[in-house]
Amino acid sequence: MTVASFILLYGLSYGLVLCLIAVGLVVTMGLMRVVNLAHGAFAAIGGYLSTGLMVEAGVALPLAIVGAVVAVGLFSLLVERLVFVHLYAAPELDQMLLTIGLNFLAIGSLTLFFGPNVYPTKLPPYLAGSVDFGFRTFEVYRLAVIVVGLAVMAGLFVVFELTTIGAQLRASVDNRTMAQAAGINVPRLFSLTFAVGSGLAALGGAIGAPMLPLEPTYPFKYLILVLIIVALSGFGRIKDALGVSILIGIAETAGRYFWPEASGFVIYVLLIVLIVWRRDGLFGRRASS
Amino acid sequence: MDGLQHRIAASLAFAVMAALATPDAHAQAEAPVKVGIVGPLTGPFATTGVAFRQGLEAYAALHGDKAGGKRIEVIYRDSAANPTTAKTLTEELLVKDKVKMLGGYMLTPEAVAAAPVVNETKTPLFLFNASTPVLLKMSPYYMRMGQHMHIPAELGATWARQQGKSRGYVAVADYLPGHVVEGAFVAKFEAEGGKIVGKDRIPLNTVDFAPFAERIANANPDVLEVFITPGAPAVGFIKALAARGLTQKILIIGQGEAEDNDLHLFDDAVLNFHSIIYLAGSLDNPENNALKDKLRQKFGPETTTSAFTIGAFDGLHVMYKMVENLAGKPFDGDAAIKSVIGYAWQSPRGPVKIDANRELVQNFYVRRVEKVGGKLQNTVIKTFSAVDPPPPAK
Repeated sequence: MTVASFILLYGLSYGLVLCLIAVGLVVTMGLMRVVNLAHGAFAAIGGYLSTGLMVEAGVALPLAIVGAVVAVGLFSLLVERLVFVHLYAAPELDQMLLTIGLNFLAIGSLTLFFGPNVYPTKLPPYLAGSVDFGFRTFEVYRLAVIVVGLAVMAGLFVVFELTTIGAQLRASVDNRTMAQAAGINVPRLFSLTFAVGSGLAALGGAIGAPMLPLEPTYPFKYLILVLIIVALSGFGRIKDALGVSILIGIAETAGRYFWPEASGFVIYVLLIVLIVWRRDGLFGRRASS
Repeated sequence: MDGLQHRIAASLAFAVMAALATPDAHAQAEAPVKVGIVGPLTGPFATTGVAFRQGLEAYAALHGDKAGGKRIEVIYRDSAANPTTAKTLTEELLVKDKVKMLGGYMLTPEAVAAAPVVNETKTPLFLFNASTPVLLKMSPYYMRMGQHMHIPAELGATWARQQGKSRGYVAVADYLPGHVVEGAFVAKFEAEGGKIVGKDRIPLNTVDFAPFAERIANANPDVLEVFITPGAPAVGFIKALAARGLTQKILIIGQGEAEDNDLHLFDDAVLNFHSIIYLAGSLDNPENNALKDKLRQKFGPETTTSAFTIGAFDGLHVMYKMVENLAGKPFDGDAAIKSVIGYAWQSPRGPVKIDANRELVQNFYVRRVEKVGGKLQNTVIKTFSAVDPPPPAK
């Protein structure tokens, strides 16, 4: 019971952080088919900014996180307009090479500004303790991550499934040409999505910082996990991204708990099985263009 | 045509003769002795490479840049802790830069990669940190400036038993040095009547350490021996242990996970973390105080000594000693090593002696992370004096 609850809650909090980081890429890749390997850099910048604002400037944590998310969103808009806009027509290999280059640029800049080490982060006192559930205790921080993560994903889901802009987005993912012909301004929609996706990654990096330590190599360190989520989610499927992320979080946590020595491989076994078994994403997927 | 060839041959011969003739005895006396340092100056282990560099520069600042009448020139190369890079850089330093001695090699795999190269060139190589026992067997030119890692693991077991701890748990990084620590601790702890309640090997790519903390807590040990690479993994693991309440509840003993120069990476989670290693930044002796003053003066008031600073510091000390011992003779690796066997000196870490197996006989300190004047530091709570390294691995 205590073990099962541990795996569920810790797997859930870990998975939700991964989900926030990856979901932006799931949508933008579905929308524009751009292989953005630099997506993790936005998460890293978000984490560094919010931690910096909190530790160095003394800003309250929630405010620091909001500030970092907005800043990264705006910054990504700039990057999209200046750099990515040239990539949409480029072959995939060019996209990969350029975005890998951006990753190195991000790593170099983070090292320059924050040093090569782990960037230390501190939890505010109200998140630092543990809460007693009777049968066992849990870190308040992990519970907070779950609440925030689920709330944000729920909000995203509502926007994606129930609003006009969400409908436009879904239409553009399914068939970009047709959507454009129907009068949807796909490039503008994409800029918007790109900014929101990067902001969400920043949110993941910021609230995940105590769990996934911030270091300059962050953009590469978590790239594989992010790409696994993208690969298993299918293009532009938010619901699937959430499911896949939670599954990965729980599988990794359970793997480490039950088979610590082999735990580095559990995720890859899961990936192979799922890719073979469900080639079209974990929960299947509509035929897309 | 024939004449032209003659003229070219003649001028070539002249050029060669001129080139051979110029480096006279005078120029040779002026030529510096070059020392190559291979270490992680960037990447996840960069704190260690920076500490190496600080130790070397502080030594040169305190003791000058000359030994045996020759100038010692230190050349730095960045391995980013990658063994392949370390090997390539070693070859480059030897062939292109003509270094006479090498140092650095933070992680065991880097040192393993360089062994065949220095065995070929007979170049003394100083391991500033790598602590796996088998390394000194891989090359007769390896000198240990850190520690034989059996020692802190075995001292940890002995000391834990002395504290009345009986339920031991071992959690190590899943690579060779981790396995060595696990074996040494388990053997000693059981030999002294303790019981091992769990053993974990943690994959090097682990990011969320909470499941390991949970496993350990559920096994209900009273002492935990850890060995995790410093930097992000150590920070992540110790925070996870603290979040599960283990740092306050049980005795946790590590080695170099929370050196003084890394303590700022942690928050208060690291309080009450114990470690056994051959140095403490807080040691109060003239050598350590002089070193600390110099470090603060050169690199800022926050700088402190760590095991990595001191490995480099003493490494350069022994290099100087070798050059002095061989003054007037051409540098020869075998003779250089022979000349320092049995050499003893006062290091910032305490009295040190090089034994016949190129290991150090030195003090080991049990330290606990405490908050002194609002700052985290490793406070020495017990000293094991002049610990003999175990006999070489078979």
